Amino acid sequence: MGMEIGGASEYNSEINVTPMVDVMLVLLIIFMIVTPLLQQGVSVNLPRDMISPDPDPDIAKDTSVVISIPDNNNFYIGKEQFPLDALGEKIRRLMENKPPDKRIVYIKSGVDVDYGRVVQAIDTIRKQDIDKIGLVADRKKGGQQPQQQ
Amino acid sequence: MSSVEEGRSDFDMAMTTGGGQGAVPKINVTPLIDVLLVLLIIFMVISPLKPSRFEAKVPAEPKDQQDVNVKPNPLTLVVSINRDDRKIALNNDVVGTVDDPSPLTQKLTEIFTQRANNGVFREGTNQVEKTIFIKSPKSVRYGDVVKVIDAAKIAGAEPIGLQIDDLSQ
Repeated sequence: MGMEIGGASEYNSEINVTPMVDVMLVLLIIFMIVTPLLQQGVSVNLPRDMISPDPDPDIAKDTSVVISIPDNNNFYIGKEQFPLDALGEKIRRLMENKPPDKRIVYIKSGVDVDYGRVVQAIDTIRKQDIDKIGLVADRKKGGQQPQQQ
Repeated sequence: MSSVEEGRSDFDMAMTTGGGQGAVPKINVTPLIDVLLVLLIIFMVISPLKPSRFEAKVPAEPKDQQDVNVKPNPLTLVVSINRDDRKIALNNDVVGTVDDPSPLTQKLTEIFTQRANNGVFREGTNQVEKTIFIKSPKSVRYGDVVKVIDAAKIAGAEPIGLQIDDLSQ
């Protein structure tokens, strides 16, 4: 019965696209707002699906020092590129006023970077009397809970 | 009372028949729900991107002292990566490869449980010694090193030290 009524000539068969357009526009706006917020510093192909890294909200803070190594040739702090020999000086200045337990430098390195380049960065960091490094990696969804000991 | 009841049933009738005559005073919430659901999904996707990191320690820079008297710690575990055959070695025993580091996790878990049972503690503390060092040639991909660190961390290794002096190419 219902079908027959639906087929009557007074109903038009056009798809109503208005809700779809609504949703798409909202999506567009949200992504426009969110993308610049998510990208801090340069984009790096981080190691993904790691099971056991500890979540650390400090990484996203403006005050923490994050060295990005997107490829074998560049070192960045934030969005600024630094040559290796200028890196140490910059780190020292950024770390000057930090309490000892906050003296940690985060390294965001791409998976295809040679370990040697990362070691060079760590070596530079070490020369500033910093012995803690945070290797930033993406956690796998539903990964292991951080162990508390 | 009865007249009101009657009026409502008339109204319901109008609704069910599709109401060609007269506007139906009802807000269409479907687009609103659409938008809210999409918002919800977006936030669900974005929120797990919480930044995480492996904490690693770096040994102090070697000083140029000739007769440094370093007492070798028999409990030290060194995980090294072989560049050519991609094998992982714990001290000198091969435990898995970079592509499948689960034997390393197993072996480390075994060692740590053993130590916990035997009461092998870090010097001067009552914590089980779980220090490991990662040693990798310089030309290994960073991603592979992190995989090995991940495998060690699953077993509960803490702190993780990165050996950065005297690495081979």
